[in-house]
Amino acid sequence: MVRLIGIVGWIGLLNSVIGVVKADETSLKFQIDQDIDLQDDCNESLGNHEDSCNSGFLFNEDGSETEIEVTETIIEDAPRPTINLRDKEDDSIIVEDQIWYPYREHLTVKPLPKNYLLTSFDFNTESNEFIPGRPSTDFDDYSHYTVFPKAFKPILDQTSTRQLHLRFTRGFWDAESWGRLPYDGFKSGGSGVEIWAILEAASKDSAFSQWKTLVNSLSGLFCASMNFIDGAKTTFPVEAFHPMADSTLPLFDNSNKLYLIRAALANEPICTENLTPLVKLFPTKGKSGITTLLDGHKVFDSTWHSLSVDISTECYEQTDRCIHTLQALVDMVINVPKTLARNENPIPKPLPSDKLRCDLDKPYDAFHCFQLPYETEGSYGLSELFGKYIQGSSLMSEEPSQVCVEISDNWNSFIQVNGSLFATADDCFELKDFQQQDIYFESNNTNEVLDVEPVPVYVSRSLTGYGQDRGGLRTVFMNPQNEPVTLIYFETLPWFMRIYLSTMHLEKNAQSPVNISLDDILQSTYYMPAADRIRPTHLEYRITIPANTTLAVSYQFDKSLLQYAEYPPDANHGFEIESAVITVIDPTAYQLRTATLLLLLSTPDFSMPYNVIILTSTVMGLIFGTLFNLLVKKMLTVEEADKIQEGNSLQHKIQVVKGKIMTKSKFKYQEVKNDLKE
Amino acid sequence: MALIEQLQRRVVEMGLVPKIIALLPLVSMMCAMISSLWLAILPIEGQFRRTYISENALMPSQAYSYFRETEWNILRGYRSQIEHFDTISNTERNKQMTEWLRDFGAKTAIYNDDEFGDSLYGILHAERGDGTEAILLAVPWHNAEGEFNVGGASLGISLSKFFSRWPVWSKNIIVVFSENPDVALRSWVQAYHTSLDLTGGSIEAAIVLDYPGSNDYFDHVEISYGGLNGELPNLDLVNIAVSITEHEGVQVSLHGIEPGFINDESYWSRLKILVRGIFNNAFAGLESLHGNEAFSGWRIQSVTLKAHGKEGGNNDITTFGRIPEAMFRSINNLLEKFHQSYFFYMLVAPRYFVSISSYLPATVVLSASFALASLNSLLNNQYNTLSFFSHYNLMAVLFWLISMLLSFIFSQLFLYVPSMSLLVIFILAMVMIPLAAGRLWTITEPLSYRLQMYAFFYMSLVITSLMMVNFALAFVIGILAFPMTVVGTQRNLTLKKCVLLVISNPLVSFFLIKPHPQLLQKLIFAWQQLGCWSWFVLCLGWLPSWILVALSACSGTQFHTVGTTKKEQ
Repeated sequence: MVRLIGIVGWIGLLNSVIGVVKADETSLKFQIDQDIDLQDDCNESLGNHEDSCNSGFLFNEDGSETEIEVTETIIEDAPRPTINLRDKEDDSIIVEDQIWYPYREHLTVKPLPKNYLLTSFDFNTESNEFIPGRPSTDFDDYSHYTVFPKAFKPILDQTSTRQLHLRFTRGFWDAESWGRLPYDGFKSGGSGVEIWAILEAASKDSAFSQWKTLVNSLSGLFCASMNFIDGAKTTFPVEAFHPMADSTLPLFDNSNKLYLIRAALANEPICTENLTPLVKLFPTKGKSGITTLLDGHKVFDSTWHSLSVDISTECYEQTDRCIHTLQALVDMVINVPKTLARNENPIPKPLPSDKLRCDLDKPYDAFHCFQLPYETEGSYGLSELFGKYIQGSSLMSEEPSQVCVEISDNWNSFIQVNGSLFATADDCFELKDFQQQDIYFESNNTNEVLDVEPVPVYVSRSLTGYGQDRGGLRTVFMNPQNEPVTLIYFETLPWFMRIYLSTMHLEKNAQSPVNISLDDILQSTYYMPAADRIRPTHLEYRITIPANTTLAVSYQFDKSLLQYAEYPPDANHGFEIESAVITVIDPTAYQLRTATLLLLLSTPDFSMPYNVIILTSTVMGLIFGTLFNLLVKKMLTVEEADKIQEGNSLQHKIQVVKGKIMTKSKFKYQEVKNDLKE
Repeated sequence: MALIEQLQRRVVEMGLVPKIIALLPLVSMMCAMISSLWLAILPIEGQFRRTYISENALMPSQAYSYFRETEWNILRGYRSQIEHFDTISNTERNKQMTEWLRDFGAKTAIYNDDEFGDSLYGILHAERGDGTEAILLAVPWHNAEGEFNVGGASLGISLSKFFSRWPVWSKNIIVVFSENPDVALRSWVQAYHTSLDLTGGSIEAAIVLDYPGSNDYFDHVEISYGGLNGELPNLDLVNIAVSITEHEGVQVSLHGIEPGFINDESYWSRLKILVRGIFNNAFAGLESLHGNEAFSGWRIQSVTLKAHGKEGGNNDITTFGRIPEAMFRSINNLLEKFHQSYFFYMLVAPRYFVSISSYLPATVVLSASFALASLNSLLNNQYNTLSFFSHYNLMAVLFWLISMLLSFIFSQLFLYVPSMSLLVIFILAMVMIPLAAGRLWTITEPLSYRLQMYAFFYMSLVITSLMMVNFALAFVIGILAFPMTVVGTQRNLTLKKCVLLVISNPLVSFFLIKPHPQLLQKLIFAWQQLGCWSWFVLCLGWLPSWILVALSACSGTQFHTVGTTKKEQ
């Protein structure tokens, strides 16, 4: 018990130390801000500084108040900033005008219908020029990384990766009301982790081994289970993932070829541990510019979020040098009323009766309330949604960080700096260095937003069937447009789903047009059947969906039995089936993914054979023992047994032997005697 | 000389073998009695166990339930609108409901079913979930008794709205408004797994709400859990339902037995629940369904919650709403499918259960009693020395095959012509033909014994193979068919034997237990719409044996002389 208390005490102490360190950091930051911009206002104490700054706020004081209270308490606990910090600021903050690095960051905010808000963070950087095809072990080779993350270059070199695409996506994109995915869907993946890359290699086998190296390295870098990607999850896409036609990829060695390889981990949880390495890739590292908004709590609290990293190689023919370009995106959709309500009260408790908005046309009294739909008038700031202010801008980039807002006429947007609000004509705001900034929105009707671009096609996929040994996959394509849509359907399925391509058919139902057969609309099919434990089923087909039509393509599969050690523990969730990828190629380019699926295999009851073996062995042992005894043993009285035992004892045997010898010797003696007599 | 040899010699010396063989009918009867007694022993203190939450992640009622306070106002707001819904058509109701559901962001679709009525369903996509799993809340517009489910529908919509505000969901939430709790709901579930375009992943659990009337207060909650074909939801789901209901201060009733009687904790109350449970399970699909049965067969765990007592209750309707709320929170905690706890169990009280190892011997003994009866027909007559390949034996096998074929034709015929009068004619013919045939055409005595042997042996096999998957049906069929074994093969059919023969006819005995003029239609309907095997178990499991027994019981003239000579001997 004493020891326990000791441990608790230590943890407490540790916490307080950490708290002090944290507070130290914050106070430092505030100190810097304060001395540069607000010298007159806030020089009594740090806490007061916050308050006095806040008094200039025009919008929503309630929301920010809680935040400030927290900082205040921390600051009071913390030791006052020391003087050497003040000295330091003069050295660190002066930036020479001439040093710019190829780094740009950009945030786009776009209100979506039904009070949702899409925020897209866009980060771009480039590497220094390098000579292609030169091994890094060359004696005069040196590597210099400026803003391009150092972690990537060696991996890219080692695995000869020319293009790398990483996607971390989770949530539900409501295409029906939000329209197209950001960047037409080319920058978001299916639920979970998705990765594809173009590798330069001499053969398919060496490409695969380089791929293994690549995913294993990335697994450590991004804290995702990419090390579980093996042959049974990897495919070589034929049509679906090909890079856009305009970009040509360089070959460093002309005898090699380029290989496109892809894998996905369905429903891999996306979490802070994936976001933190991503934020650390940027030179601002979450300390200044728009990256300060990227807090795991808020990003992963969103309805839909997607993190992506795209690295490509570009070569210049004139100089024979190449560079790597990196684009990283963080997109998320936030439900605004819910997020604001959570700031007030983290638990969505029943509303107090005076806050109920009731429809007065319907029965309404102290007991009845028919609620009106959500409020359409509103104003909020990004700081309320992200729980943080934007701290300064990115210092080393050519152009300052930029925030653009895409809104319709009934909306207003402002940037708030130093307690004052500013608006611009194009609703794009450049962030100022060393300032605490916020973006505000207001609208009299939040439902009226910029028209959402309709998606070219809706696709949904579901598992069908009754029972445990077989099932079906059903994909519904719905083309809402007045022109036919041509798309490439890409699907990989684990080998334990044994699909029967022969059963693939177009479902006949009341809505589907009668005169269409699958052969009419299916243009080309690529099918690589699965090999048990070696590779997955890989199916790609090009299909044209006629205008204003809904079609359902379905086929059947068998659920195979696994080897006993391959079954997951009884407490499993089922097997995740990765989403199908639909790439629309005509009339527009668009990519979307279906939801992932959960497959339950028929699992033998593993404890039963164990029980049965134990039980039968016991019974068998008992029966055999008893029966054997009954068959071979004889019942005797004690006297009889004693007699027999007497006969069997060692003493008795010795006696017998002795007797025999005696009699024999006696006999011999007698014989000798007789002989002598004779 | 070994002991076993001695024993055997002693047995031979005492002539025990023939004595035991002579006693076989009695032993068989004893077995059947033991089987029934076995079940009667189960509710005795010490024979059953207290239920427990096996899956720790469920944590029922650990989180505070917030469906209270102003949620009541909102619920009453919806109810004031829904009260008028029973006068308007299903289409209009669904249209209005769709509008409300879409208001808070649910995706909705209507499943068109011309035969049983359209079903409306909405999906609330889990914000942080992967969207592969769902929990379902089903609200039939009319409940099993045909009452308009005003409270249930109001709860359905206000709970969905309440759920939409919570960020905790890891699974999608599906809410279904079907026309009725049986065929319409089942047809929707069927469509969800075959042809619906809007889907929300595999359904893990379903809760059906039944709160007829627009009363604010109710007395107690009945929890229905039995599925079709002997399927039961995981005991953990029933446990959390019971535990949450009692946590909310509401009393639980099972199988329509009043909580007052259950709370006696007496032997008789437990026995009553046990027997009702067995009968409800055995005849599932023949009576009006509560709603949870609609999900049987898709690995969906489901229960129905029904509010009882319109007058004089002191639990308000939001208390009823907090039960599904807390259950949803519990199920939402599950990372894996329901795999802990029991799938084979019988409840003797809301908090007491009997596991399969305790109750299964009852049917094992019953099946043994048929096997002994079969042995009796083989050994207990002067024809026991006939070789296996004797003419009689082969004839008996042939007869058995023919009776199987006839039964199959019979089962298929009624699927197409489910007419009661035809059935009565058929049964009369079935009863009369052997009687009449006895005059015209004779079955020799050895053959009649062999026929019975095969009949009982087949019956024993049927019961054995059925008892694991559908204990209740296996047990009930075994008990009801038992009179067959005492019919015997005498020619002079006494009235008693005649009656025994008639009441052991599958359809007649089912009719005696469930006297309903539409029984046949119900059996066939249960197969066609709900996938209940009962009809085929009766036709292919029981009927062939009965035909053989009837034939042998009404066999020919030759028998008479043999019978008398035997008696003289």
